[in-house]
Amino acid sequence: MKNSTLAFVFVAPALLFLLAVLGWPLVQAILLSFQNVGVIGSEGRFVGLDNYAAVLGGAGFWRAFGRSIVWVVANALVQTVLALVTALILNQKFPGVRIARTWIILTWIVPTVVIVIIWRWLLSTSGGMINPLLVQAGVIDRPVGFFATREGAMTTLIMINSWRWFPFTALMMLAGLTRIPGDLYEAARIDGASALKRFTRITWPLLQPTLMVLTVVGTLLSFNVFDVIWLLAAGGPAQASQTLPVLIYETAFKGYRLSEAATISVITSIILMGFAFLATRAMLTNEAAR
Amino acid sequence: MKKTLTLAAFAAALLTGSAYAEPVNLTFWHMEQPPHRVQRMQELLDEFNKAHPDIVVKQEPQSWGEVYAKAPAAFAAGNGPDLLFAIPDFTTVLKGIGAVVPVDDIYKELDAKHGFVEATVAPYKYEDHVWAVPAYNMAISLWYRNSALKAAGLEVPKTWTEWKAAAEKLSADGKYGIGLPANKQLYTDQTVYSLMVNSGAADIYADDGKITFDKPETVAAYQAYADLQKLSPSDSTSWTWGEAEACFASATCGMILQFSVINTYDTQAGGDAADLGVAAVPHADGQSDSATISYSNAIMLTTKDKAKQDAAKVFLTWLMEPETYGRFLTMEPGLFLPVTNDGAKADSFWKDPVVAKYKSQVETMVANSKNGKLFGFTNGKVFPSIGAISAQNVIAETLQGIVVNGQSAADAVKAGQARMTEITAK
Repeated sequence: MKNSTLAFVFVAPALLFLLAVLGWPLVQAILLSFQNVGVIGSEGRFVGLDNYAAVLGGAGFWRAFGRSIVWVVANALVQTVLALVTALILNQKFPGVRIARTWIILTWIVPTVVIVIIWRWLLSTSGGMINPLLVQAGVIDRPVGFFATREGAMTTLIMINSWRWFPFTALMMLAGLTRIPGDLYEAARIDGASALKRFTRITWPLLQPTLMVLTVVGTLLSFNVFDVIWLLAAGGPAQASQTLPVLIYETAFKGYRLSEAATISVITSIILMGFAFLATRAMLTNEAAR
Repeated sequence: MKKTLTLAAFAAALLTGSAYAEPVNLTFWHMEQPPHRVQRMQELLDEFNKAHPDIVVKQEPQSWGEVYAKAPAAFAAGNGPDLLFAIPDFTTVLKGIGAVVPVDDIYKELDAKHGFVEATVAPYKYEDHVWAVPAYNMAISLWYRNSALKAAGLEVPKTWTEWKAAAEKLSADGKYGIGLPANKQLYTDQTVYSLMVNSGAADIYADDGKITFDKPETVAAYQAYADLQKLSPSDSTSWTWGEAEACFASATCGMILQFSVINTYDTQAGGDAADLGVAAVPHADGQSDSATISYSNAIMLTTKDKAKQDAAKVFLTWLMEPETYGRFLTMEPGLFLPVTNDGAKADSFWKDPVVAKYKSQVETMVANSKNGKLFGFTNGKVFPSIGAISAQNVIAETLQGIVVNGQSAADAVKAGQARMTEITAK
């Protein structure tokens, strides 16, 4: 048997599994997007591109898309900064570094529901811990509702989600840092390079491949976050945190417009696949240029 | 001899076969998730299953937050339950996909035997059928502490002006005079509608199905609500029922609108029955009587299998017997109110230790529930779009227009009318 045939035989089960669990639902979603099904289980008829025209022509989709962009970019910025600082610290040798590297992922492995309950309690105006601390410190006069205003809710959600995910990013960056040869730093030190110079001339450029991968994976993961937003703010207040995944859920299961929700899902998938394709191509071009 | 033995063996096989015939299995979805309610339900089911070896009823608790999405999906996949708890708008959703079976016969027999309170079946009676058997009633009331009102020199508020004055006076020393939610969620729908019914804005549909939400009475109700909400904790924009109860139990909130606080008050706030006050929701200054929102919770039959339908009838008949029914209601003592005349007198209800302790409060709740209304079910006609209006929490969304976006009450109500009209048109 040829090597390529053998490889295909090994890959085939996984491919078939992916086709069954991803391909089939995707085909169903596409078919659904050309119908006018309301509640799950009800009958629908073919309506052509009507749903696409309605979704792309309505303000709701574009507003949610805008919020998703804000969500992804803000999460990426906050998580990158936190993760980079953490990875640089964990890349040093100090007592307890092994324990720190293990426990850093705690926020990431705790179930979302537990995270949500903890933060709801911490941020509550009546009985939470954070408000009294801020009042005592003189930061605020009286307890504030972190989810009471449009800007406050989105900011709080971004901080909580970043707090949850940055350890994962930090570990990926740490893996990238450990691949940078120590000789380079040694030579730079001998040449008298400062810590900042070593970072900007060695660490940052050599971390680029890892950062590129994290940007692609992180964007896709971040874009699709639903649980934290829904459980903490349900897309509110007044739709302030209604990103595309939240809009899809609300359209399907609260608005009983399943086909319209499928249409938004298909459009979202196309956007994300386009992003993944362009980002991967950019990565490959960069690799080739090195 | 051989023939006799064969016949005997055949007869034995038949007897054995019938003795060990498979019982009829009923799957019962309800949304009473707290562990003590699940436990009480299981006790009742164990008792029923023991007394009826040919039927096995199994409970599968669900959440109200998910069942609107989960139940249609389950029916579409052929995995739906046989019996399912309902509130009126949920019934319209499932009826729309043909999942609900009329319960005319069961209702008629149970009504003749126990006498249903008409208001509790009305939201399930349309298109010449009864679509669910009422199980219990819930109505929003105003909860307060007698000692707090007395210390502030206040009487129990009856009008909105008195209510606002009381809330302002109780807002002192880091306490909030009142705790009203402003979340885009069912609890806010309920509390806002509690004010709407007290200003003459109960009907959101005209007889022909047109939306009549935008009217001066609705604007007045929203304005009054928004004024009171300013005196609530600022995170009430994300409150559900639990946060309001916790705020009242900790005495951080002076007053709240809630179906019942008895359980949390009794277990987490000292449980001084004499100090717990409950009254009708205050009404607009121009009105003379108080009304409220009431939810008649019911049980839908969602199986087309004749044997299961018969088994369900046996189960529901057993459940509504006063000695059983009182124990069913007191799975959450002081929250679930009777829907039958004999159930309202049942010893099994009134002798429950918690109900007995808070008897006067429960009597007030029962009295309030008699003036209960529900949005979309007020004029004897039911329009299917109420399911989507309710599921999308348009009433609460309208409030967020005022509280979060800073709109005027008139503009927010106008936007609410447009949203409801848009939903109705789809």
